[in-house]
Formats: sequence, structure tokens, C-alpha cells
Amino acid sequence: MDYQISLKVNSTDYQQQVPARRLLVDFLRYDLGLTGTKEGCSVGVCGACAVLLDGEMVASCITLAVAADGAEITTIEGIAEGGRLHPVQQAFIDHGGFQCGICTPGQVIAAKALLDVNPTPTEDEIRQWMMGNLCRCTGYYGILESVINAARTLQEQAR
Amino acid sequence: MTTAFTTVGTPVARAEGPDKVSGQTLYTADVDLPGMLWGKVLRSPFPHARIVNIDVSRAQEAPGVRAALTGRDIPPALVGRLLRDCPVLARDRVRFVGEKVAAVAADNPEAAQEALLLIDVEYEELPAVFDASEAMQASAPSLHPDIESYVGLPQPPSPMNNVFAHNRWGKGEVEQGFRESDRVFEHTFSAQLMHQGYIEPHACVVRVDDSGRVEMWVNNKAPFNLRSQLSAVWDIPENRITLHPISIGGDFGGKGSFMDTPLCYYLAIHSGRPVKMVMDYLQELMAANPRHPADIALKTGVKNDGTLLAREASVVFNSGAYGAFKPRVYLGGADHLGGAYQVPHVSIDSYMVYTNNVPCGHMRAPAKPQVHFAVESHMDMIAAELGLDPYEFRLRNVIRQGDETPTGGSWEEVRAEETIRRAAQASGWGQPKDRPNAGRGMAISDQPPGAGQSEASVAIDAEGKVEIRMALWDTGTGAHTMLRQVVAEELTVPVDDVRFTVQNTDAVAFDSGSGGSRVTYTAGQTALGAARDLKAKLVQQAAGLYETEKEYVTLQGGTFVIEGTPAQTVPITEVTARVISEPGNAIIGEMTYSATNSPVTSYCTQVAEVEVDPETGQVRVEKIVTVHDVGAIINPMTHQGQIEGGVIQGMGYALMEELVAEEGRISNLTLGDYKIPTMPDIPKLETVLLEPSTGPAPFQSKGIGESSNVPVAGAIANAVYDAVGARVTSLPITPEKVLRAIRERESNKP
Repeated sequence: MDYQISLKVNSTDYQQQVPARRLLVDFLRYDLGLTGTKEGCSVGVCGACAVLLDGEMVASCITLAVAADGAEITTIEGIAEGGRLHPVQQAFIDHGGFQCGICTPGQVIAAKALLDVNPTPTEDEIRQWMMGNLCRCTGYYGILESVINAARTLQEQAR
Repeated sequence: MTTAFTTVGTPVARAEGPDKVSGQTLYTADVDLPGMLWGKVLRSPFPHARIVNIDVSRAQEAPGVRAALTGRDIPPALVGRLLRDCPVLARDRVRFVGEKVAAVAADNPEAAQEALLLIDVEYEELPAVFDASEAMQASAPSLHPDIESYVGLPQPPSPMNNVFAHNRWGKGEVEQGFRESDRVFEHTFSAQLMHQGYIEPHACVVRVDDSGRVEMWVNNKAPFNLRSQLSAVWDIPENRITLHPISIGGDFGGKGSFMDTPLCYYLAIHSGRPVKMVMDYLQELMAANPRHPADIALKTGVKNDGTLLAREASVVFNSGAYGAFKPRVYLGGADHLGGAYQVPHVSIDSYMVYTNNVPCGHMRAPAKPQVHFAVESHMDMIAAELGLDPYEFRLRNVIRQGDETPTGGSWEEVRAEETIRRAAQASGWGQPKDRPNAGRGMAISDQPPGAGQSEASVAIDAEGKVEIRMALWDTGTGAHTMLRQVVAEELTVPVDDVRFTVQNTDAVAFDSGSGGSRVTYTAGQTALGAARDLKAKLVQQAAGLYETEKEYVTLQGGTFVIEGTPAQTVPITEVTARVISEPGNAIIGEMTYSATNSPVTSYCTQVAEVEVDPETGQVRVEKIVTVHDVGAIINPMTHQGQIEGGVIQGMGYALMEELVAEEGRISNLTLGDYKIPTMPDIPKLETVLLEPSTGPAPFQSKGIGESSNVPVAGAIANAVYDAVGARVTSLPITPEKVLRAIRERESNKP
């Protein structure tokens, strides 16, 4: 059965009919064409499909689209502000935070979600928080560096 | 001698960075074509069975379904990267759990998935064999009785049952070596089935137009080889097939196979629509092309002083149901069973064996992680018996300049010893540990830059902007940025003025693609050659403009210097602006290059420092020192990225990753159950790069893609022994195995 949902994705309002079983990741990728959100494991453990739902990080591969009714969603396409990369994104470029890039949208979302609630995380807090985002290319060293430096940049900007 | 570079040696940020961090980069699963259908496959639940009957009629009539196929609906040709032994869809029998038996194409993925449930297959189970050694016995079922008829076997198959390749390497007289030895040691080792763990599953999109022309988007890193494989199985000429460039979401050797592409074409033909197939990760872990499990037996003769005299080695690779997923029939790394040592008498046997398991393929330095885990563990076990320090034992035997390799070859500029010494130094080898149950372990391996073929053009426009055009897909290594740096250096222009355009397979005759630590060498020399050709043409043009001979013109810092009194200088951009009158025109340099085998290799020694919990057997890696025998480094950031990613993959291999198969059925079918390292797992990493030496790649550089993942498992195994005296000879080194080894050690105490 189809349901009518209305939601905001990256500041744009959408009203759409979706089948009950449509997953949020498929809704974003194939109904809205926002393919920046990636599907890796399909069971909510790899983090590639992470999006922000009302500011909270969720795995869109195990979230139904109907569960996003009335919500505000931010995907990787909505992280840059006014055409300028977010400091988290810039840090991933400057500090070797990506290689193949398939996990990167999820990594960036996760890092932003962390720094939104904890602007000055310790290295250990970063390691624990980012545990849910798998990366096979970098060995995580570049990602860790990127998050540390993004936090620094955001702190400097806030001053 | 040091050469002053401007761009080479700097950590230039990747041009694809902004797209990758903002979700704009296109991967195969993102490709959307008008009218495109979704293809899904039904897989065998049995490891070995005869297909009695398949009925797809109910699936065919399901809503949204446009095609439903069985093996009977398509030509019977077999497919393979070299050995063509794999059906596109099973016909009469299935040989592993996960083999494709039927396929559907439907309007959306949900409809395709539901249609699979409506397919009825009647199987008759056959006796199966899972263990490679058992499969070699005459009593085991023969899985490929028609092997003699297969295309692609470089030599006749072995007379041994299910052995499709038996390879031998060696030198000297190994029996004589054992007779001359004071002590002879024999140990056996085993290594597990491992998935490459790229986060992007295999995917493909195929469109066939009315004239039969095929267009494809595939996350395959060797698209020209794929085109040739598909041309053979579809029986259409290669020039009717175009593969379009696409970014690849992780490779590690796993993305060189045809996977669903042969089938996707038939779904497109039968539905008359473009078709997309995306494996989900469950299928990835069940039925992709993982790293081979191996059983390795080593026998080594030594003098009492620790000098190696003889090595007899055999490795049995459990290849699974098909040999089709390897670019060669055997795994080249098996020839490393002599290790990085001077051994006068060597005999190595490698067996590739069919079993009813998932067919295996390539993964980062194929066979070497298995081989060096065994060789390096064996070295420490011998050292312990002889009462020698493992470091001293390695120093005594390590291959040096002028020595023959264990297989009778030779390398120039052998720096194995330096890597061992520097690793010992950096790790504080021999110094007391700062806590109980801590240990250090060492391992060494080598990986030469691989050969291959490539084609490039480098164009400069009127504004002096440079474009490199090559049919080399981005697998994530940063190759395009490395090539921009090589070309910028040669043309003495800013790297920001050089862009990389990926061409499709129609644009050039051939490219070997990514793999085998090849790209910096093969693609690098190709791009450099094209840049040199362009430079020569520009010099000629500048000489013409100033009415002089090209011998009097040099290019420095983006400016031509024209000898004379007085000397004149003219920027490249002035020459290009004057010579290139038509907008859109360019001066183009070209190069087709076929690399020969590198005269140098690259050694890597690692020391792992671990702490073992003797109560639980849990191993915690505290630190890894990784020492690399490098050439010039073109991009330190991407170079380091390869080292870091490889080390952590090696750590996953050593400690946690295993596709657990019971009677051919893999039981850990999600990334929640198949554990790969996460950020909290990563140890302190110290990278030591030797002073740059020579290399066959541009500006005396080498490859770095594979080496760092090879010695890790041996280093960790040896560190665990050093920590608690527990010797684990099978990978992965799980807490259960460590605990068992600790108890065995205790029960053996006098």
C-alpha cells in the first residue's frame, strides 16, 4: 500500500507517494535522485547510508521512508553551505580522509553529527563515535586526522 | 644526487576531492538510464547438485517483470578472465552455494526480488567436497570432468583429481640441501577465506541498442580485459562493446572480475531495456570472488649457525567451484615461498584445486599474504628451536645485493637488509617491554611494481591548460592526481593547470587497468611519454616562432628560453596563444607504452607490537612499524594512504576476518557478522621510508599499492608468540586459538 509523506530534504519540501516498504535510502537515491547517499551493507552497520533525520544520524538503509514523514533530512548534498564546502568536507580533502570515496558521504555526515553535539571531542571520543562508519581504503588514519582538524577549524571559526 | 622537483614530492590534493566529499561522484549503482530495469538473480542453496528442472513461468507473469531467464535461455558459452570454466547461468549442475541459476529483470528492485520467490527449481543433491586436500584424492567427486575442453588453460591440467593448475618453482637440489643441513624443520600453516571488504558491492548497467551495440557501466578496474572476456562469451566483436568510465568504490583486487556483467547483457537483450544489477552485501559475502584459503607445508634445512640451506614448500589453494575469477590460472605470489632470503636449494609446488566452495579471485598481492604469514611464522619457529633472535636469524639469511632469489631470479638494488635494520631500530627491538604479556614480531616481504600496457594523450590548449586523456578508471588510489603531477613536472606548469579526463574504451586500443602495483609505473611512464612528446612539439613550435632551431630552445618553469644574444624568454601560454589559432584546438602529445618487468622490487619489513590477554586470548595490536624500500615519492599523501589502508587490511586478515563456511555455506553473511577493523581498532602506526632509491616509474618512483598488507599477519603471529609463547599457525589469530595455544604450551611444560 502507498502512503503520502511530506518531508524536507536539504531545505526543499517534498510531498510524495511511497510504498510502505520503500526504504529511506532508496527513496532518497531513486525517487529524489540524491545518489550521494550510498548503500553498502544494507543492514545498518557500515554507515555509508548515514543521513541526518531531525539532526540525528540514522542509517537510511534500515529506515523506512514513511518513518521520515514530517521530518527534516540532511543528506551529503546538503552539507555545503552557499556553495562552499563545510569545514568537515574540506578537512577530508586536506588530510587524506578519503580514497575511493564510497564511504565518504557517510563519514562526513557522521563527523558533522558528532561535532554538532560535541565541538571539542577527544581523540578517543572521535574513535568511538566513528566506529559505525566502515572504511576499507584509508585504515582510518586520514579520517581521524580529518575529524580532528575539522573540529579545530570549526572552533576557530566560532571564536 | 637530489633532483629539485616542483610538483613531484608534494601532497597535492586530489582533483576529485570536492565531488567525493559532497556526494557528486558517480558510481555504478548511481547510473540511471531511461527505461532501465533492475536485474536480480536466484542462487543455488546447494553446494553441489544436479538441476532437474527450473520453472520460471510464474515469475515471468509477475507484475513488473520483463524477463526471466534460466541457463537454457542463453548460449552455453563459459566465461572466465583467462580460464573459461564458469557458466553465465548454471545449466545442468551447480557447484557452490550462491551459484546463479535464474535471473529476472523487472521495473523496480522490489518487483524483481518478489519474482525470484516465484521460481521453482528442482535439485538432486550430489556428493560434495569442501576440503582442497580431500578434493585432490581420486575418491573425491570430479567437479569439472570436461576440463580438457575448457579454453584458457595455459598448460594441461594436472593428472591429480580436481587440480586445474600445478606450478613449480625452484633451484638447486633440495634433497642435497637437506642432507647438508644440521637440522630440518617442518611446519604446516593455513590461511582463511577472506573478503576484499570494499564498501561498494559489485554493480553493472548494460544497454544494448537496436543495432546490437553494447554500452556498459561497470565497477571493473580492468575494463579492456573485461571487454575481451565479454566479447568471447557473447560472441560479438570487441568493437561493438563500449565501457564508460565510472568511479570504483574500492577494489583491493576484487573488482577485476566479470561478476554479473555477462548475465546483465542477456537480461537487456531479452527485455529490450537497459538493465542494472547491484549485488547486495549478503551476495557479496556469499558469492563474489574472495581471497583464496591456503594450506601451506614448509620444510627447511639449516646449519647449526642458522644459515638456511634448503626449502621445500607446497601450497594448496582452495579455489572453489571455478577458476574463472583469476587473470592467470594460478596465483603468482606462490613463488614467494622461499621468502626474502638467500636459500641455495629450493623446491616450491603450488596446486589450484576445485572444491564446492565459493570461487576465489584476486586480493591485494594475490597469494603473498598467505605465503608470507607461513614463511615468516616458520622463520620464527626455527629461530626459537635454534635459540636465535628472530631479527638476527633474518639478518643472517636475508637476500642481499648480488644474491639469487629463491626461485633463481635477481633484483637490482636489493635493500631488504636495510628495511630489517630500520624496522628493528624504530621498534626498539630487543629492548624490554613496558608491560607484561607484550610482544614484538617481525616479518618481511617484497612487491615489485607490475608491468602492463597503457595509452595516453596530453593536450595543451591556447590558454596553456593541459589535459591528460587516458582510459584509466579511478579506483580510489589517487592515480589521476599522481599522473597530473608527473605531467605537470615534465611540462614545468602548475599542477592546477593539468586536468585528467577519463576516456571510455573506444578512445584507445588497450589499457591494463589498475592492479599489481602497476599504475605508477605503467600508466606513469605512459603519461610521462605523452608529456615528453607534447613538450618536443611545443619546443619545435617555439623555435619556429623565433626562427631558430629546437636545439636552442629549452623549457624551464613554464617559460621557453631561446638561446641567442640576448637570450629571450617566452611563456608557454604565449606560444600556445600564437600557435593555436582556432578555439578548441590543441597541441597533442601521444604515447603508447608497454612496460617490461621491473628490474627492482620493493621490500617491506614490519614489526608488530601486541598485548595478549592470557585469560581470554584477546590480542590487542598496540603499534605497527612499517618500513618501505621506496623510490621517489610522487605524492606523499596518497602514498601514505596506500600504506595505512594496507596495514589495517593486513591487521583484519591477521586477527578477525574470515568467511566462515560450513559445508560450503557461508554463515557470516553481513558486515555485522563479518568483522573488519573499525576506527577504535587501529594501532599506533610508524612509517619509515628508506632514502629514495631507483625505480622504473617516472622520476625514479615505484608502486606502493600492495606491499603494506603482506607482512602484517606474520608480524602479528610472531608478536603473539613473543608475548605469551603461544604459536598460532592458522589465520585468523582469534582469541580461541590463542587460548588453545597457551593451554597447549602450559600442558607441554615439563
